Amino acid sequence: MSSFIFVQGLAIQFRIYHNRAPSLKEGFANLLKPNTARQYENFYAIKNLTLKIASGERVGIIGANGAGKSTLLKALCRIYEPFKGSLIINGRVSPLLEVGAGFHAEFTGRENLYLNGAILGYSKEDLSKMEEEIIAFAELEQFIDTPVKYYSTGMYLRLAFAIATTVNPDILILDEMFSGGDASFVKKATDRMHQLINKANIMVMVSHQLELLEQLCTRVIWIEEGAIVADGSPGKIISSYLAAKS
Amino acid sequence: MKQINFILELYSYRNVLRQLIKQQLVLRYRRTVFGYLWTLINPLLTMSITAIVFSALFKMDFRSYVIYLFSGLMAWNCFCSIVTQLSGVFITYESLIKKIFIPKIIFPLAQSIGTLIDSLLSFIAIYTIIYLINPEISWSILFIPVAYLVLFIFAFGIGLIVSVATVFYRDLQHVISILMQAWFFLTPVMYKVSGVSLEAASLIKLNPVTPFIELFRAPLFLNQMPQSGTIATCCIYAAVSMALGALVFMRYKNLIIYRL
Repeated sequence: MSSFIFVQGLAIQFRIYHNRAPSLKEGFANLLKPNTARQYENFYAIKNLTLKIASGERVGIIGANGAGKSTLLKALCRIYEPFKGSLIINGRVSPLLEVGAGFHAEFTGRENLYLNGAILGYSKEDLSKMEEEIIAFAELEQFIDTPVKYYSTGMYLRLAFAIATTVNPDILILDEMFSGGDASFVKKATDRMHQLINKANIMVMVSHQLELLEQLCTRVIWIEEGAIVADGSPGKIISSYLAAKS
Repeated sequence: MKQINFILELYSYRNVLRQLIKQQLVLRYRRTVFGYLWTLINPLLTMSITAIVFSALFKMDFRSYVIYLFSGLMAWNCFCSIVTQLSGVFITYESLIKKIFIPKIIFPLAQSIGTLIDSLLSFIAIYTIIYLINPEISWSILFIPVAYLVLFIFAFGIGLIVSVATVFYRDLQHVISILMQAWFFLTPVMYKVSGVSLEAASLIKLNPVTPFIELFRAPLFLNQMPQSGTIATCCIYAAVSMALGALVFMRYKNLIIYRL
């Protein structure tokens, strides 16, 4: 079975509140006086976006800050449900959006390993097989049974990275915010990322590092204000993106 | 088809459910001396205080009042903690919900199953006390698991509505705790319906929690099975509550992420 991503007419809408979240009082007040000015504004982070990604593609997404890149990634990971349009994903998504998402500070490293692993879709048996490798990769043999709130930032990031990347990814969704801890670890982490990207059937990544995208991707999509501006080979799109920016 | 997918997806996330329940049960008392025993000690202490105060106040026979009170309170406490805990459940797990996809129903499920497990364990402690006071066992005690199941479904349905509503109106979290207190006084837990005025009694009869209290009180206080009418009423309430809860949840679950 080949994996694919098919996004049809996707729109994602947020509410921007001018002051704060609506209170019950205002809810009632609005019921009684429907004509009062609304406290919020609707804002489309993604507007009518159609996109097809086939197996084997390595897609990079570029665009200015606030263009909707991360929202699109989160929609692909099903964190944001489509407001309009549809999203068909064939294959298992491995989201690497933020290191340490879903860690619980009071839990020990090992407990977090099992919690996080379960969230990423692994069975207990899989995890007990992977456990040793993850701990070794994170270099945390001594501290694995300590609650993660006592971890240094580096230890925390290493464990989270090791858990998230010990996968056989089918569809790999990557945010550039996802990075691997302290300097000595970075080399190891980068190698592992490249391996992961090679193993994945589909890779979608957001980054501002254009050279990296040019090196890793087979296709680049340029997004502005929630819509696709250009889509094509990395060299071409990146140079027109740079030309437009300067 | 949609329902089948929903159930299949839920099944594939059973490990997450298990982990979240474990997290809830293990963490609360980590690094305390008595540890998990607090789950048992805590309700026992509060119940005992109530028993001492009110048996003195109402000049009732202490022993029979303790059994009357404890059997009602265990039902109320279970109901109340499920509803109150669910009111904040999506806010509690906000950071997780915003970062990774997990079927939303997992959170209220984990929270309420955790609370149910607590309730079942404290039942054992409470029942020990009841047994020491009145060492008479009838077969009707076997009805208790059924009573817990029906009560759980009823509470879960209401809790589901509250959990979704709280995401949209944060004030509800505070309103709920006050409402639950008012509701508690409308429920014949500490007093007997026969002792109150006629107007109050008719209001208490309308209270949907009242028959659930009966469900626990009949086997424990009267040593008999609940009346079949009471059981039927409870089942209907539970079904209605669950249906409404599921309806509200399915309608709004995809919007939760946008309002957190």
